[in-house]
Amino acid sequence: MRGTTRKVAVAALSAVALLAAGCGSGEEGETDTPAAEAKTGGEITVRGCNPENPLIPQNTTETCGGTVIDAVFSKLVHYEPETAAPKNDIAESIETEDNQTFTVKLKQGYKFHDGTEVKAKNFVDAWNYGAYAPNAQSSGYFMEPIEGFADLQCAGTANPEDPCEGFTPKAKEMTGLKVVDDHTFTIKTSEKVSNLPVRLGYSAFSPLPDVFFADPEAFGDKPIGSGPFKLDSWTKEQAIVLSKFADYSGEFGAKLDKINYKIYQDADAAYNDVLANNLDATDEIPTSALIDDKYKTDLPDRNAQKEEGVIQTVTFAPVNVDPLYADPKIRQAISMAIDRETIIKQIFNGTRVPATGWVSPVVDGYKADQCGEFCKFDPAKAKALLQEAGGFKGDKITLAYNADAAHKDWTEATCNSIKQALGVECAAVGVVDFATLRQQVGDRKQKGMFRTGWQMDYPSIENFLAPIYKTGASSNDGDYSNPEFDALLTEAAAQQDPAAANAKYQEAEALLAADMPSIPLWYGKATVGWSDKVTGVKITAFGTIDYSSLALK
Amino acid sequence: MTDAAVAEVTVAEPREGGVREEERSLASDAWRALRGNPVFWVSAVLIAVFTLMAIWPSLFTNTDPREAILAESRSRPGDGTWFGRDIQGYDIYARCIYGARASILVGVMTTAMAVAIGGGIGMISGYLGGAWDATFSRIGDIFFSIPLLLGAIIFLSSLPEFFNDNYFLVIMKVVLALAFLGWPSLARLMRSSVIQVKPNDYVQAARALGASPSRIIRSHILPNSLAPLIVVATISLGGYIAVEATLSFLGIGLQPPAISWGIDISAAIVGLRTTPHMLFFPSLFLSLAVLGFILMGDAVRDALDPKTR
Repeated sequence: MRGTTRKVAVAALSAVALLAAGCGSGEEGETDTPAAEAKTGGEITVRGCNPENPLIPQNTTETCGGTVIDAVFSKLVHYEPETAAPKNDIAESIETEDNQTFTVKLKQGYKFHDGTEVKAKNFVDAWNYGAYAPNAQSSGYFMEPIEGFADLQCAGTANPEDPCEGFTPKAKEMTGLKVVDDHTFTIKTSEKVSNLPVRLGYSAFSPLPDVFFADPEAFGDKPIGSGPFKLDSWTKEQAIVLSKFADYSGEFGAKLDKINYKIYQDADAAYNDVLANNLDATDEIPTSALIDDKYKTDLPDRNAQKEEGVIQTVTFAPVNVDPLYADPKIRQAISMAIDRETIIKQIFNGTRVPATGWVSPVVDGYKADQCGEFCKFDPAKAKALLQEAGGFKGDKITLAYNADAAHKDWTEATCNSIKQALGVECAAVGVVDFATLRQQVGDRKQKGMFRTGWQMDYPSIENFLAPIYKTGASSNDGDYSNPEFDALLTEAAAQQDPAAANAKYQEAEALLAADMPSIPLWYGKATVGWSDKVTGVKITAFGTIDYSSLALK
Repeated sequence: MTDAAVAEVTVAEPREGGVREEERSLASDAWRALRGNPVFWVSAVLIAVFTLMAIWPSLFTNTDPREAILAESRSRPGDGTWFGRDIQGYDIYARCIYGARASILVGVMTTAMAVAIGGGIGMISGYLGGAWDATFSRIGDIFFSIPLLLGAIIFLSSLPEFFNDNYFLVIMKVVLALAFLGWPSLARLMRSSVIQVKPNDYVQAARALGASPSRIIRSHILPNSLAPLIVVATISLGGYIAVEATLSFLGIGLQPPAISWGIDISAAIVGLRTTPHMLFFPSLFLSLAVLGFILMGDAVRDALDPKTR
């Protein structure tokens, strides 16, 4: 039997080797470009995926549409690809005296792809459109800090699923936004916000041209922005084609003439096309190639990996939903029972970084080791801590995950680790899909522990704390409420100096270790691969490929 | 007809003299043929081993199939374990042994259920004929028109959560889905076989002597029409095991914590290029189990069918 195994293995390996050799020799014969300096112009084809919604910046929260939106729309602020540091783009200046009233001045002569100029009212109208609840824009909640946001929301009772049915909000425009002149407008927030300028680089804050309001539906298929690229065509399920915008006047122009997003359903197919030099870049390396770092030998000098602003956590159900996990000591014991290093090495093949706190290291204000010993694997201490808390009262610990994505392996491994360290049975429970899991969590019906992840919207420590752990916040799945924590967040928001604000946020983060509303698991890392035709591939802090620096050899 | 009967009697006469000859019933004839067939012995050994594995897995291994040593995950065969470890660090050998239970259970129970339903309905429609036959045959046609795999996917994904509660229910839901869609072929077979046997003289004689329909069915029709059913059921048992693995591979058949070859094959597929042993061993066990039953069916058919002799 053993002899047979080896033979099969050898046969399989040599088949792969032959395949690789075949591709390699074919390419060498065709291309004779020397490894020269990057040139401007040219056309590339990269991996794309199906945007979930029409391509309207206020309605795009997922990455498939997000990468296209980022290339087509420019915002007030641009994030530096590598450091995620904000830099003014359309904004000439964003000024404030008190962190509550902001005056935004725009650059003159910035143009939309249809030739009209980007004016203050394009911002104000777009933001009001996004915030107006009956428009059902998925990133409307980003406007929440702006004064008057609540008046644009629905509170209908006719249909519990949709509060907007048979209900018209009080106002259509937020009182906090005022156009001063063509190139100036003011933003007034309902509470003090220290990092508003950082937030304004998120796609939800893009300006929309006047034509949008005439026919939003048609616009969603062929958006008109003011970014370095304009959208030529979008063939659903197949391809999105962008080309360089000739009249682009911003500072963040692109080197390429054309980007073709070829839409793939399967990461393996895209990866194989990159291997064969048929595709120029993919931002998703399939697990089969990550195992044993196979992609590094498949794509020598054509791969890169970088930390992105993503954190994976395990959240505990609110105490009134599942009292078994109420004691922070039990939560800490479970956290200490998870062998993060080994799971990352064996299940994720090193594509994650063990978390030592609740904030991603890529953002400004990150402080290491906020979770302290509770995020370090120590089975003996974990068991002692559990005994101190009186042991686990239920028959088993459960960890729910959405079964429509690749979460089965790590949840199972995490549960095995908890089981072995604590001696308590642990089961990873698959829930059909992401929407169902979120529905159960949202309705406070999901018991036990469940997986949660957070991908940053804008690079700030605040984005990892306020939306998730502030009392009553939109993504506070565990109903965490700590007055001291809330007070620190409010104080931080009022600070004029970013460093002082960050210090307050860090103080707040440190409080989480004592209460453990969620267990930090690991931070994300993006892995990309590219063909040997392109150069200058950089990964942004958001885990996407930066197409402004990408060029042909 | 009379002539033939007479002729048969005259031929049969001298046979009655020999004691050994009298023992040669259909069953003993078949057994004699089977004994001489090496294919039968190979498949019998395979089936016996897998059945033993299903009933008593601890006879083959002392390792707990749920004991994960993540630090050694994807280790190769020979590195401390016979078949190596999979992604979660489970011992692949132990997983293969414990996986037999689910597959054999699904195969045997599905076959039993399909034979009971299909055989029963086939018998009724074949024996009673007329409106009964028409009704049952059309119902069978309806089920027959649903492709097995597609039907099972729809069936399984629409079952309530209740079926994921414990090991037995998880197995039962797959059994129900397969039996539900698998019975019509057996019913058709049984029906035609009954129709073939029914006009025989011994059946007519029994009826003329006033035997009740249930007695006729039990002692005359059933024993003489069962052979094709047994053959097809044995062959399809192997098929059901394969379908169970397919469904589990797709993630809708058996669910963890149940251990199944299909689940393990599905989990191992990412390692195809790097650690193919994770895929190889569960696939090997699955193939051998399916092969065992199909070969057995083949051998039994050869033995039962006098025309092939």
